[in-house]
Amino acid sequence: MAKKLLSGITGICIALLIGAGMMLAQGYDPIATYQALFQFSLFGLSPLATTFKNSVPLVLTGLSASVAFASGVVNLGQPGQLVMGGLLATLGGLYLELPALLLVPIMILLAMLGGALWAGVAAFLRRAFNMSEFISTLMLNMIADFFTAWAIVGPFADRTANSPATLPIDKAGWLPEVGGFNLSVLFMLLAVAGIWFVFNRWKAGYEWRISGQNSLFARLGGCDINKNFVTVMLVTGALAGLAGGLVVMAGPHRFLKGLGANYAWDGIMIAIVAGNGLIATLLYGLFFSAIQTGALGMELITDVPSEISLVLQAVLVLVIVAGREYLSTTLDRLAARRKALAARHNPEGEFP
Amino acid sequence: MRILIGLITGMISGATPILLAALGGAFTFYAGVFNIAMEGMMLTGAFFAVLGSYFFQSWLVGILLAILGSLCMALIFIFFAVRLHTDEFITGIALNLFAVGATTYMLRQIFNVKGVFSAPGIIAIPNLDIPLINQIPFLGQIISGQNLMVYVTMIATLLSAYLIFKTRFGLRVRAAGYNAASLDSSGVSSARMRVWSLLICGVLCGLAGAFLSLGYVRLFSENMSAGRGWISLAAIILVNGNPWGVAIISLVFGFSDGLGLLLQGYNVPSQFTAMVPYLATLIALYFYSMKLKRTPIGRAYLRKHKHEHS
Repeated sequence: MAKKLLSGITGICIALLIGAGMMLAQGYDPIATYQALFQFSLFGLSPLATTFKNSVPLVLTGLSASVAFASGVVNLGQPGQLVMGGLLATLGGLYLELPALLLVPIMILLAMLGGALWAGVAAFLRRAFNMSEFISTLMLNMIADFFTAWAIVGPFADRTANSPATLPIDKAGWLPEVGGFNLSVLFMLLAVAGIWFVFNRWKAGYEWRISGQNSLFARLGGCDINKNFVTVMLVTGALAGLAGGLVVMAGPHRFLKGLGANYAWDGIMIAIVAGNGLIATLLYGLFFSAIQTGALGMELITDVPSEISLVLQAVLVLVIVAGREYLSTTLDRLAARRKALAARHNPEGEFP
Repeated sequence: MRILIGLITGMISGATPILLAALGGAFTFYAGVFNIAMEGMMLTGAFFAVLGSYFFQSWLVGILLAILGSLCMALIFIFFAVRLHTDEFITGIALNLFAVGATTYMLRQIFNVKGVFSAPGIIAIPNLDIPLINQIPFLGQIISGQNLMVYVTMIATLLSAYLIFKTRFGLRVRAAGYNAASLDSSGVSSARMRVWSLLICGVLCGLAGAFLSLGYVRLFSENMSAGRGWISLAAIILVNGNPWGVAIISLVFGFSDGLGLLLQGYNVPSQFTAMVPYLATLIALYFYSMKLKRTPIGRAYLRKHKHEHS
């Protein structure tokens, strides 16, 4: 834990320094830029609330990827599952006339259903035809992207909007702000807590983790690997779909063109940086959201374009991951050398 | 006849970027590198091709810059995956993200636009008319008059197959993937072979990117590689890296690309026709796994991997 924290913080510092170097090279003032970046994302209730709200899709898709990867399932389909969940939730909000207390849970369930169904396609292809989910989820992402693009210009289009979008959903489906924070944040935290509990405290979660670490051991221990694969696929799909639904319900209240594109790979990126840890996913999700949120504000008061956040994120990923692996191999090497030294000095003795 | 020629031409130009990237991926595949960074390398190449072509008024400089840009990505990959021993899958994903971020950022910074950059100043890669052959009635219209990069791709396919299977270099590349320890013990560094394979991949992906932004069209748009790098990865996996197999699979994907365009003429919404290459990949994957089930080696492979995911 301490090692993880250490490598994470060092990684962030080095990445921010590299970012500062790039800004200097282009003639920007890095200190003023970073100040603006974090001023618009962390300092004050309203920036903080925005950061939390924007973190919802990042954390949930990250959680989806983390759970999948830690269970040995290569689900790279979060982008597609997100848009399918978002679309299904939007349809619920468009056509169901219910009071808010009923509509909100139903839309959330629809969102999860949409994501799970889309992930289920990949799970089915794997189980029935032994097609690797690695390629199939990637291809399904593109297909979902085009499908939703068609849905919002074709059958569900708002003809009066300037850019492709559906009509706004029923007001009862809008998630309200509570004390400045959007209600979607609460749902996100509930999802994190629920998944953490299942993953770390339940028998099912134990089986998933063991299957991810050593599938042969899991099988010999009596786990039904195939059933677990399908379950993990559906659960992680539902998480990504939930992200899409919450984005629609909290933000634009309709399905806009490019809804998923903004978060396309962010979840996978966050899971990788977090080393598939669930709490780490939450923290890194919030951090990446702070960078993305702050970048938009930063653009207003400095000359630096907001797209620098994209570069900064990629540098963060590379540096943190490389730093972590380099640190662990270095530590291993040091430990091995210590052991070798101890063995040389004390050939017959026990290892400490 | 016109439709058929259009379909074949569409097939060839659709296959070209996929084939170029997949040939690069074939080298890394044989060298035992799990390289999924073709997407990012291609995108970087596409951006730098437009950059060079626009500022130097020359498609040749565009191609050279595309290769350089893509090589930079390969060097980053080498630094992290070969030098620091970072996980190749993770490095590849991070690199793809970096490519999207960096090109979007530079698009904004250098050309001051969001989304798409197109200008009359961008010089496209020319088409090549081959004298005499272009006189042949049907064949001439297919063989002659294609984009220069199409011919480059044909030569690249020949060269790749020759390099991989007929030369000492190729033998060493394959040995690095097949049994790195025995290559190392015979005095050839397997890490160096991996570096070479990644550099070759960088060059070929740069060419693929240049074709995307200067051959197909004359513009750069955000994320314009649009999953082609992933399709080329699928092609490599389907034929175990064999350059000739890769060429055939790429043509199939190219055909589905052209087919999509043709379907648009029959009032199928463009979003559905755009799905066709990705559906074709899924179908190809289906046949691949079915083939695996039928051959004895495939069955052994399946037994071995039956209870492993990924």
